[in-house]
Amino acid sequence: MDRSCVECYYFLVAVMLPAPFTAEFLNRLEVLRLRTRKDVLGNRPGAYSSPRRGTSLEFADYRKYSPGDDLRYVDWGIFARSDRLYVRLFHEEVDLFAYIFIDASASMAFPSIKEKFAPACNLAVALSYVVLANHDHVRLHSLKDENAAASPFYRGRQRMRDLIHFVSSVAPAGALEPAPCLGNHLKHIRRPGKAILISDFLVSADAYQRGLNLLRAFNLDISVIQVLSREEIEPALPRGELGLIDSENFSELRLEWSETLRREYQEKLVRHNRELKSFCHQNGIHYSFYPTDGDLGRFVLKTLPATGLFR
Amino acid sequence: MEFLNPAALYAFALLPLLLVPYLIRRRPRRLFFSSLLLLREFATRRSARPWGRLHLPPIFFLQLLLMALLLSALGEPSLSFRPVNVALVLDNSASMQATEGEKSRFQLAQTEAAKILSALPAHARVDLYIVVPRLTRVTEESLKPGEAIARLNSLGPLDLGEPAIDYGAELERLVRERKYELLNFLTDHPAGGQSENVRVATLGRPKPNLAITEFQVARRSLALPQLEARVTVRNFSVTEQNFRLAFKGNGKLLLSRPYSVAPNRSVEAAFENIPWRPYYEAEIDAGDGLALDNRRFAVPPPQGALKILAVSPRPEALSSLRAIPGVELQLVSPEAYEKGNFGPHALEIFHYSAPAALPDSHALFVLPPKQNPLVEIGAALSRPTVSGWREPHPLTRYINFALFRPAYARALKPGGLGEAIVQSPDGPLAVALEQNNFRYLALGFDPFPFLGRQNLPVSIFTLNLLEWFHEGRGGSGGATGEPLAARLRAGESVLAPDGEKIAPEKSSTVFARTYAQGIYRITDGETEKLFAVNLGDERESDLREPPAVQLRNEPGAAAGRAFYASLWPYLLLAALALLLLEWFLNPASARERPASEPVKRDDFRWA
Repeated sequence: MDRSCVECYYFLVAVMLPAPFTAEFLNRLEVLRLRTRKDVLGNRPGAYSSPRRGTSLEFADYRKYSPGDDLRYVDWGIFARSDRLYVRLFHEEVDLFAYIFIDASASMAFPSIKEKFAPACNLAVALSYVVLANHDHVRLHSLKDENAAASPFYRGRQRMRDLIHFVSSVAPAGALEPAPCLGNHLKHIRRPGKAILISDFLVSADAYQRGLNLLRAFNLDISVIQVLSREEIEPALPRGELGLIDSENFSELRLEWSETLRREYQEKLVRHNRELKSFCHQNGIHYSFYPTDGDLGRFVLKTLPATGLFR
Repeated sequence: MEFLNPAALYAFALLPLLLVPYLIRRRPRRLFFSSLLLLREFATRRSARPWGRLHLPPIFFLQLLLMALLLSALGEPSLSFRPVNVALVLDNSASMQATEGEKSRFQLAQTEAAKILSALPAHARVDLYIVVPRLTRVTEESLKPGEAIARLNSLGPLDLGEPAIDYGAELERLVRERKYELLNFLTDHPAGGQSENVRVATLGRPKPNLAITEFQVARRSLALPQLEARVTVRNFSVTEQNFRLAFKGNGKLLLSRPYSVAPNRSVEAAFENIPWRPYYEAEIDAGDGLALDNRRFAVPPPQGALKILAVSPRPEALSSLRAIPGVELQLVSPEAYEKGNFGPHALEIFHYSAPAALPDSHALFVLPPKQNPLVEIGAALSRPTVSGWREPHPLTRYINFALFRPAYARALKPGGLGEAIVQSPDGPLAVALEQNNFRYLALGFDPFPFLGRQNLPVSIFTLNLLEWFHEGRGGSGGATGEPLAARLRAGESVLAPDGEKIAPEKSSTVFARTYAQGIYRITDGETEKLFAVNLGDERESDLREPPAVQLRNEPGAAAGRAFYASLWPYLLLAALALLLLEWFLNPASARERPASEPVKRDDFRWA
């Protein structure tokens, strides 16, 4: 694709995408690339290290020469010193399969879709665009109930339209049990790659730990992005007796809301987030926190590279 | 501070009702929240009570203050400094009997005074004053407002003319001396000028009036016993008035005639040869504003001769008076006069002598010694000429003063009490004085002996003075407020016109409480003497433009300006401000940001 075509494409995508996705923003996303901590199994040459031996420039190992090996890979220095023929082996570099899981439970619609779910989707689209711009594969999964709604693999910028169409079709509803829901999705994953989980993680620690362990079991390089709305971080509930209804299971909780209670809730939320972060850190999972009223561009272009998700 | 509508303060008892909305268990507001995972441990335990936990947010106290302000405003609070040392002066003169509609001016004054007193604080001290018979305090001690109102109702107007005082100066003097913070004068006089401490409330409007200003029943002359009556009616209006004059004797109608009188003029009616009655009454049928001056009373002069007691060291000169018809003369020496009791006489003549004090009868002093109670004696004059005389005057009628040349005279000095009737270049030769219904005349020359035609000017003067003294024996009667022309003796009592019987506390006193117009009777049980008392002040009858009370705005010793400010508008403003503050602070549902919105299908569109 020549430069004029790229600019035209940027324009079309910018028209289709929500407000944060300006042509300039997309242009800056072009230079990013996801970082993986594990080797991945791609099916095409790419930029990510594979456990298989290949033809990259990165040295991997030696093995004894066997008849039929390409003489270009014989290490003649070793032969001179030891009079034995060894062949140099190199890592294989393959393309990346990225799996982006979007929490589409009802809690993501709090306080409104525009204030939480839409920013989460924007983030997912931005990450997807980074993958697509690098000619890697990306697949979106909506985590909702036990329904496994997943998009096909997209590759190349030209699939942005399909990707956006899929994201637009996802509506937050229902409760989320991370482990069963992720299990349903993982049944269809054949290649290990990069898994990015975007969720508010407002579930019990046991629930999200089981879900993340399930991802770990599939040898996926996991990144977790916790999204919370400002209303969840600093609730502005009216004082007095309230009947709070859980948006996912519609259970009601009576409480006397006060300033003291608000502070206690915030302390508890901080502990909850700290526990999640600690679990991620202990298990080699990349963790980031995105308040949905924050600037998406700054988060994607500054925060995520700084925390090591991009390189 | 005080409340003009204190009954509204009972509504404060309803303030606890403000707690009810906070006690009633309200259904909690139901709101969506993303996840209750982190909130479960904060759940409250449900109470079985029908009322909720008493939770009083700061907004409750704001509402409480708001309600308190509104209820206080209903009570009409006012900040006032009201005077506590107050004087109330009521004009109770005769003109206050004039009617204004159905009420008299005095009744209007009582109503106004009651209003003023009601507005005073309970601890105020009030002094009540009346202006007639003189400006005086009604009670010795100051009264509380309630007591003053009760005392006020016992007061009434008197048939008296007002004293000739400068009300403005007199009232301001009262304020200064008694340290009144406020003095209210309720009168029918208008106010002129202003004063911080003196307030004049003018009651009544100018109105026309017809009044009998004079009523006299007298013998035609000293020698003739026939009676004649003269009635003078004055028109105090700007239009001609027609009226019918009724002449009554002993309460029964004797004559009745129609008359008309021009504006600001008087008309005189004469009734001759009237039958003798104990007393007479003249009445006009004018339905004007003041009924008091539409009647007037008179008693006839005593029948019989003029009894004269002559005290003289030279009795032969006085004995010539016996030549005058209708005169009975008793001659005594000054020494005998001092020792003896000569009973009542119509006239006492002190010839070259004088008593220690003015007698209780008409008296003529002829060339009295220096120690006399009436006049001072001046220089001796030889054949003085008369340079002036009072005219018209009963004493100077028909006299050719060019021929009036007494051989010897002494100038007199009246000393402020009497008035000079005959003047010479060196001083008065005749000084007359009317006091306590008695007439006194001092002469600086000797008109005796009575020579008849031989000395005509002096003889005419002698007859004039006898006639003058004779008129003074009754007929027109006295004025209200003046003492009766008789001393009360032991066993005698006074029957007032209203039927009240008054016994003197001690004998030989002069009855002076003649505050009502009418016939007064002095009786000892068997005989009675009648005295007519009439309103003697024409100014009271003139209801058109009484003189204004001139105030000079002299600061009082305890000048305190009354201050009054109604606070309820400010309280309402404060309540309004609180209402705005409450509206701003109270998290009303309309202004509240919803914590969560119900999830709708239409919202599940990402872009």
